[in-house]
Amino acid sequence: MKFIKHISIILILLASSITSAQVKFEAKVSKNKLGVNERLRVDFEMNQDGDHFNPPDFSNFMVVGGPNQSVSNSWINGVRSYTKTYSYFLAPKKQGNFMLDQATITIDGETYKTSPLKIEVTSAVDIPKDPNDPDYLASENIHLVAEISKTDPYLNEAITVVYKLYVSPNTGVDNWQETDSPRYNDFWSQNIDMKNQKVQTGIYDGQDYRFLVLRKTVLYPQKTGKLNIEPLSLDISVQVPTNRRDIFGRQLMAQAHRTVSAGNKTINVKPLPEIGKPADFSGAVGDFKFNVSMSKTELKASESLQAKVEVSGNGNLKLIKLPKISLPSSLEVYEPEHSENVQTNLDGMQGTVSDTYTVVPQFKGNYPIPSISFSYFDLKTETYKRLSSNEMVIDVLEGPQNIGNASTNVIANNSKQPVVLNSNQFAFIKTKSNFTSITPSYFFQTKLFWSALLLPFLAIPLAFVIRKKKADRDADVFGNRIRTADKLAKKYLRHAKKALGKKEAFYIALEKALHNYLKAKLHIESSDFSKDIIKNLLVERKVEAQTISDFISILESCELARYTPITIVTMQQDYDKAAKTISLIDKQAS
Amino acid sequence: MKNILYILLVLFSTVTFAQNDLLFEQGNALYNDGKYAQAIEKYNAILKTKHHSEELYFNLANAHYKLNNIAPSIYYYEKALQLAPDDQDVKNNLAYAKNMTLDAIDVIPQAGFSKLVKNFTDIMSFDNWAKLAVLSVIIFVLLFLVYYFTYSTTKKRLAFISSNLFLFIAVISLVVAFHKYNIHLKDKSAIVFAQETVIKSEPNNRSSEVFRLHQGTKVQILDTINQWKKIKLSDGKTGWIQNVDIKEL
Repeated sequence: MKFIKHISIILILLASSITSAQVKFEAKVSKNKLGVNERLRVDFEMNQDGDHFNPPDFSNFMVVGGPNQSVSNSWINGVRSYTKTYSYFLAPKKQGNFMLDQATITIDGETYKTSPLKIEVTSAVDIPKDPNDPDYLASENIHLVAEISKTDPYLNEAITVVYKLYVSPNTGVDNWQETDSPRYNDFWSQNIDMKNQKVQTGIYDGQDYRFLVLRKTVLYPQKTGKLNIEPLSLDISVQVPTNRRDIFGRQLMAQAHRTVSAGNKTINVKPLPEIGKPADFSGAVGDFKFNVSMSKTELKASESLQAKVEVSGNGNLKLIKLPKISLPSSLEVYEPEHSENVQTNLDGMQGTVSDTYTVVPQFKGNYPIPSISFSYFDLKTETYKRLSSNEMVIDVLEGPQNIGNASTNVIANNSKQPVVLNSNQFAFIKTKSNFTSITPSYFFQTKLFWSALLLPFLAIPLAFVIRKKKADRDADVFGNRIRTADKLAKKYLRHAKKALGKKEAFYIALEKALHNYLKAKLHIESSDFSKDIIKNLLVERKVEAQTISDFISILESCELARYTPITIVTMQQDYDKAAKTISLIDKQAS
Repeated sequence: MKNILYILLVLFSTVTFAQNDLLFEQGNALYNDGKYAQAIEKYNAILKTKHHSEELYFNLANAHYKLNNIAPSIYYYEKALQLAPDDQDVKNNLAYAKNMTLDAIDVIPQAGFSKLVKNFTDIMSFDNWAKLAVLSVIIFVLLFLVYYFTYSTTKKRLAFISSNLFLFIAVISLVVAFHKYNIHLKDKSAIVFAQETVIKSEPNNRSSEVFRLHQGTKVQILDTINQWKKIKLSDGKTGWIQNVDIKEL
């Protein structure tokens, strides 16, 4: 027994001495060039057992599996071959050329190293699929598709996104769950309810499929430029057929989970053209009708009427701003009631939006409602269109009148109807008129005005002057006497003076004048007109003797003159004398 | 020669007067038949002869009102009021016309002393105040002369007091006449004729909008620069408006 043991030890020693001379330690890769989606197997092989195996740092790879150790020991024709392998499965982290570093091992106290390996990681390659893999089958048989009606719409033009799930006829879908709902930023969106949807058949990629419309969404872009529609992701449980069959020959189904997503699409929204954009354009895009209506146009004050501004048609109805009705300020207008009757389907919004104003006239009169306009962009013709309402007139037949100050409009609310003269009627035209020149002529500040205003004041200094003169005159005694004489002479000797030069006439006139004077002064009747009587009367009146004799002498000369020739000089002397005498008598007589 | 000219002038003017009366009657007849546009033509023909009257403006305004021409109707009512400030018919119908305007503008009411002064000075036009002043001066002078020349004490006293009273009346009415005349010179109002117009903060198109006015609103003109007028509303707001949008009274 001992013998056998020894022999074997000797043999082992011999063998090991042979092999120890030939230690191998090398690294092998399954491929030097691989796609980023592929995996790589690295084997570190040695023909003698060693210790302290130290793998390289797989920094650019992910260790998917390993290290796996395998040892093979074989005797062929007495030759023993021994291999020990450490294997790793690696997945590359990224594309590029990488070096697989050295691995080390200690065999019989000696450190061995592998040589570094160069590995090229290319872009992903098509990996031939396992036709029996349920996941693969699921991916082949289930497709989620987003159909977008238009990828270059105008701002505010309706576009639709329809999500369809295509399932091949031999695949079943147990259940699905939305993992990621798209959020339509920068869009006005409305989902169209898809209840009780039936599975339809259709063709996808040239093959017959069943499909289900999962969701329809109407979108109105609210921003111009490139807009992103986020994808819809579904987690689906799928039943896929396998190659295996049960004992009855039916195909066995395998269950797989599949996440599908669709619709990460970019939409290029065109801005509305700037050319011809109306001033009152408020963003309405589509095809509209515009109507302004009144519930009544003839009513009494304090009754109410409804004014309705209505836009109907097809377009972004919920997004438009209705034009405001402009009513005369003397009408009482309440905030409009907004109502929308809009259905949304795949063609966009359809229906009517309206503002209803309640108007209560306070005063009698006619109130014209000016026409208002509504502009929109017509997608068919790609032009702006403007619709205008008709001008209407509200006729308030009865009611108080707006005089301007509110105090007169207090309405007494008595139960009895007072009979009042209705003075608050619109007055009829006037039938009579006096036309004046259109260029105004004013009296104020004319020359006439100033003179009429100021000239009367001149009368005051004038009065002063006049009064002063009068006082002066009254003070002047001698002058006064002369003036009296002149006056008397003028009064009585007027005729005589006229006849001066003609002897007969002069003296007759002079005598008559003297008699007249005496008659007036002394109240002598013409019948008893003799010189004695005159003399006595004058004496009675205390006239000086000299004056009396002068007077008598004049009378005598008058009588004489008829028979004697007398010159003009004498006549003048007699006239002067007469005048002087009269004045003296006038003064002296009392 | 001059006399003949005067006679001719008088004759000629009476001819136009007669013609205007005829046009006025025709216009009134058309108005009564409801042919307001034709009536307006007749009335305008009278205005073309450079003659006017309060009644003409009133009828013209009525015709415009019936045609719902807001701005012209208010314009002619205001014209009529200029000639006859106290006509109740005009005031009444102007209130109707103002109901049609869109702008609601508060009127700042005058109070206290200024209202008292206004009520007093509005009794007459400045021309009539001037006439009153002249008349009072004449009476004053006459009474003063009476005072100066009479000798009886009672008469003198009476004449002196009454003459001073009339002098006082003369001075007051002269002051009022000047006051009213100044107001008349300053008071340049206009009616907005444009359907809707933007009032700017400066007399150019670049400046910002201050507010908007609609037709028929009465504004006061404060200043003029090129094609722009500075206006003031009755509630005190001011701004610049283009000439074409308003028509001066």
